[in-house]
Amino acid sequence: MKTPLAGAIAIALALVPSIPAAGQAGPDPRALEEKVRALEARQAESEKALEKLKAALAAPPSAASAEELKRRLEALEEEQAATRAGLAELRAASSQKAPGPVEPTGLVPKSLPLFGSSGPVSSGTSFNPSITVIPDVVWSRDDVKGEAGEILEEADGFHGAHAEEGHDHGHGGLSQGFNLRETEIAFSASVDAYFDVQALFAVSEEGIEAEEVFFQTRRLPWGLQLKGGKLLSGIGYANAHHPHQWDFADQNLAYELLLGGHGLNEKGLQLTWVPKLPFYLKVGAELLQGENEKLASYVGPEEFPGLGEEGAPRVLSEKGGPRLFTGFVKVGPDLGYSNALQVGFSLVSSRRHQEVHDEDADGVPEEVLDGTATLWGVDAVYKYDSPRTGGAGDLVLQAEYLARKRNLDVLGTVDTAVFRQDGAYFQAVYGLLPRLQLGARWDVGGLTNERVRGGTKGAYDSSSRFTAALTFNPTEFSRIRAQYESASIRVDGEKETWGRFLLQLQLSLGAHGAHAF
Amino acid sequence: MKKTLLASALLLSALPSAAALQVVASTSSMGVLATAVGGDAVKVTVLAPPDRDVHVLQARPSMMVALRRADLLVAVGAELEIGWLPAALKGAGNAKILPGAPGYFEAAAQVPLLESGQAADRSQGDVHPMGNPHLYLDPVRMAKVAEALAERLASLDAPNAARYRAGAAAFRAAVEARVPAWKARAAGAKGLLLFHKDVNYLAALLGVPILGYVEPLPGIPPTASHLRELTGRFRGQKGAILFTDFQPGQGPEFLSRNLGWPKARLPLEPPVGASTEAYLAHIDRWVDGVASGK
Repeated sequence: MKTPLAGAIAIALALVPSIPAAGQAGPDPRALEEKVRALEARQAESEKALEKLKAALAAPPSAASAEELKRRLEALEEEQAATRAGLAELRAASSQKAPGPVEPTGLVPKSLPLFGSSGPVSSGTSFNPSITVIPDVVWSRDDVKGEAGEILEEADGFHGAHAEEGHDHGHGGLSQGFNLRETEIAFSASVDAYFDVQALFAVSEEGIEAEEVFFQTRRLPWGLQLKGGKLLSGIGYANAHHPHQWDFADQNLAYELLLGGHGLNEKGLQLTWVPKLPFYLKVGAELLQGENEKLASYVGPEEFPGLGEEGAPRVLSEKGGPRLFTGFVKVGPDLGYSNALQVGFSLVSSRRHQEVHDEDADGVPEEVLDGTATLWGVDAVYKYDSPRTGGAGDLVLQAEYLARKRNLDVLGTVDTAVFRQDGAYFQAVYGLLPRLQLGARWDVGGLTNERVRGGTKGAYDSSSRFTAALTFNPTEFSRIRAQYESASIRVDGEKETWGRFLLQLQLSLGAHGAHAF
Repeated sequence: MKKTLLASALLLSALPSAAALQVVASTSSMGVLATAVGGDAVKVTVLAPPDRDVHVLQARPSMMVALRRADLLVAVGAELEIGWLPAALKGAGNAKILPGAPGYFEAAAQVPLLESGQAADRSQGDVHPMGNPHLYLDPVRMAKVAEALAERLASLDAPNAARYRAGAAAFRAAVEARVPAWKARAAGAKGLLLFHKDVNYLAALLGVPILGYVEPLPGIPPTASHLRELTGRFRGQKGAILFTDFQPGQGPEFLSRNLGWPKARLPLEPPVGASTEAYLAHIDRWVDGVASGK
């Protein structure tokens, strides 16, 4: 304490009555610490008084001063008694808490060693990572006997690129009635001074999948950050968002058709750079393994005897990873407190993309393709933050355009097939009332949808969908959403339409981290 | 095009930064402290607009711009800004101001908090187990925080240490000069109905009891039954109803009508760029509100 006044303030602060919470058991370490400080201050005062007393005793006593000395001694004794009482109270407070069944020894952090305490000074389980569990239940009803997701998968120009079996639990496939979708379980913590780690698992009834498991550097200079592991790529705007961050119950068509239900989710490294500028700029590049089924499907050196003409190549090429490279730029001008804008441009280059088409599922493919793929996209997001309560009046406008080109050799022939396709979505979410949001989305796949093979050009029509959603957030940890979608999907040149109603309940338990822009 | 963009970005980032220490304050109250302590030696940027609820703000790219350039981040802390500040910090990629680094300063870590040690149980609403984070309406605690901030600024910028300490001392003196008058004004106030637990520190300073809250649980909007219960419980008594500019007025107005108590809707935060005087005038208005319930 620099001045007595500051000391007085400290003691006054320490004596501000804290309101005990219901159900609170045991002493609050901070309050105890304050009490100890107050006692220490008192003790210091007593010691000073004692010093003075000793000094006075050294001088020859007179009758009047003897009386005065006796008075001071009594005051000092009183002071000491009060300090002893305070200490006894503290001892009692520190030992009164017996570890209960829900708080066994070792799980309870002890921050302050206190005289008489028999417990260890331990951080308990405080080093454990933050844990979040996000269950997602959907009730679905469509007018095509639950086939809405399957029809979407057959969309002209986008279907049938399944290189491997077993990964068909996209977010679009829903049964009539109740569905338990993936429960996200996320762990995050700082590993040490250098790394943060996040591990996010998608647990479904079928099993568990590592959706994102990555480290991120903490201390690189110049605004650089390195991220590595399995991660959601930084391309586009929606790509890095987990399903619980979506404004609708399902993925937009542009992503679903051109990148798959999970977006671009790959193993690899990501380097980003945020320079010191008067506006927001983020530049990123990624080196990824290349396993995305829509863009970097990789089968490996497999031979397909009996395919096509004699003498033509019939073996898929071999290429070790990393096979996928991306780059992205995001720019955001400063528009003040109420408005925010971000515009992005992304580029993806896949060094190997292989497709095995076995339409009749007899184990003998009709068509095998081997080549490369590229994708580019632009994205823009505008947010208005209204001063009204509970998000009422807030507006988010979001749009993305993605274009993909696949340049593939047709095995068993000397032909080359070139596919050009694109997709886009536009969406708006408006805060109708506090905690209640209305969202509308129009998404389309295949505005450009052409295939050039061996000099012959073919084209498909586009597939599109309109979605409206009403989302109620009782708190920021729970969400109830009613969504209706009306889709027009081209399958073998025919227009197939369906309507689907979804009722979604999404909950977030535990520590819930902040969401990036 | 991409190349020129990159080149110009490199060029701009290589420019020397201004001599003043770049301080980013999460709220305008924290901005007041930074300005009061730092004076001309710091350049203060405030992230959150003063008329919004900082519990529910979203990270904006412009926040990351400010944080990227910052030498010091002054936050309220105790998880008040948990919905957006960690994300903005991560997006900014500035190791100097990450929690634990010398450039990270939390007001809540400098002073004892009220209501700490609550059970971390969200069925009790949006609880803050580490303690009530709304300490910025308590000028005495703010003076203490200012002293800690002065020491932090002094450690970051030693040549200006004396002026930082002088700034904190001036802030404390200005607060202490007003405290007796505030206490005198509020003496005899019967109690407060608050919308949220945001005026608790000031009420504790003035010794005025808090009778209840318009929201049934922190972060949960008022229900008709809760308001009826409050009117039933406090009918015939005296007190005042206080709420902030971003909190909905229907509940407080209903209570004011039915109990006959004065109500006051006041800004929770001072304006961006407010001086010490403006902050104290802002506290004055709240003290008037507290004192109105006699």
